Amino acid sequence: MNAMNTKNKTLAACFVVLSLVSAAGPVFAHHSTAMYDMANPVTVTGTVKRFEWTNPHAFIFIDVKDEKGNVVEWEIELMSLNHLRSYGWVRDTVKSGDQISCTGGRAKSGAASMISAMIKLPDGREIKS
Amino acid sequence: MKAAALAVLVMLAQAPAAPTPGESPYRAAARLPVRITTFTVEPTTIQPGESVTLVWAAENPTSITIDALGRVAPRGRRTLTPGVTTTYTLSVTGAGNTADKRTVTVVVAGTMPGASAADASATGTKKAVPRTADGKPDLSGVYGYGAGGGGRGAPPPVAAGGLPTTPTLKPGAEKYKVVRAADDTGLYSTCLPPGIPQTFFVPYYIQIVQAPKHLVVAHEYLNLFRIIPTDGRPHPADPDPSWMGNPVARWEGDTLVVDSIGFNDKTEINGYRHTEKLHVVERFSRPDFDTLQYEATIEDPNVFAGPWVIKRSFPFLPEYDQINEFVCENNRDYKPLFGNK
Repeated sequence: MNAMNTKNKTLAACFVVLSLVSAAGPVFAHHSTAMYDMANPVTVTGTVKRFEWTNPHAFIFIDVKDEKGNVVEWEIELMSLNHLRSYGWVRDTVKSGDQISCTGGRAKSGAASMISAMIKLPDGREIKS
Repeated sequence: MKAAALAVLVMLAQAPAAPTPGESPYRAAARLPVRITTFTVEPTTIQPGESVTLVWAAENPTSITIDALGRVAPRGRRTLTPGVTTTYTLSVTGAGNTADKRTVTVVVAGTMPGASAADASATGTKKAVPRTADGKPDLSGVYGYGAGGGGRGAPPPVAAGGLPTTPTLKPGAEKYKVVRAADDTGLYSTCLPPGIPQTFFVPYYIQIVQAPKHLVVAHEYLNLFRIIPTDGRPHPADPDPSWMGNPVARWEGDTLVVDSIGFNDKTEINGYRHTEKLHVVERFSRPDFDTLQYEATIEDPNVFAGPWVIKRSFPFLPEYDQINEFVCENNRDYKPLFGNK
């Protein structure tokens, strides 16, 4: 698994608070990102199983190989459809079988779940998510 | 594992958009360059009177225009019937002054090349506010989410008309101020209607459909809607308490004034709860083609010392003709993601 996650929880908490009060931060759809560790971004690479093109948020499910070669299903949360359309997404921007890399914040619980801010597509194009 | 970590570091070094340590990935994503991935016209040669189809796609844009069409969505297709040989230009801009431009040309047999018919927004001419048959401003359209107050700096302390833009609680009403726990992901992570005016303050589009005697306001968020009578009728005698209230409206010049009562006490307004005595007066106007102006005056004699005002403006989005479906049952249970015991 291509995940980089330093374990500085105190720092993470500080940054989450900062990001909540920062006027320059992005507009989050629907809910806060407080359940994700946004201060220690991770990049997760895997193979797309399915893409749920839905409001309130879109989701991609990918199979990721961990260090031991076991396949773990990651749940990748994206923005809402109006945000994704404004970034240039359509419902087949990623397809089942695509190899993609997602960069964002992992669930603080350590679950195989993250919210992704950008995604690298199979041909190397990077797009906001 | 060391090698894997090194590989990740190398990858980060090569990718300028990758977040630096401690940086929000959203801030990093905002650096991604804009690009045009598709701009085609089919067919490229036609006889006079025949049509062509323009197809375009761009990624990570902050603005996107086609000279003949004005502002367009990042992906689209349009059928056009150029009278003469025409070159169309797709222009996009994005983060860090990145830009991209492409042209396609349609040859119309037997004609000389003409300038592509630039629309009003491309030439800088302001479009007039459209009006309905009865002369009222036509508010119909899809609008983006609002600016003015909230996330982008504090609003002015006093709105036009002298009313404050923040509430003062009535003595003894302190319990109506909302205090959230750290693992509370907020008002909008439930599937419950935020009520009025709060439903206007979420990052989802709204669509207005104006009919002669009604205004339909449809929110992408939860697919909530109100069908507001605009013929000046009074409220029913004792409306049942509801999430979105009982609205009636009248025109005051070019401003539609919507008066709502009959709310339940389950919603919040900018961090304050309220009682069933909530009374909201909303003013909708379209001061120019590109803008829906929105103002809500809020009163609740059980909670606030006096009326106060929230103002927002919503950008008209000519490139969209319909809000999206929204199925809140797709919502995830986010609490377990905190990992709290």
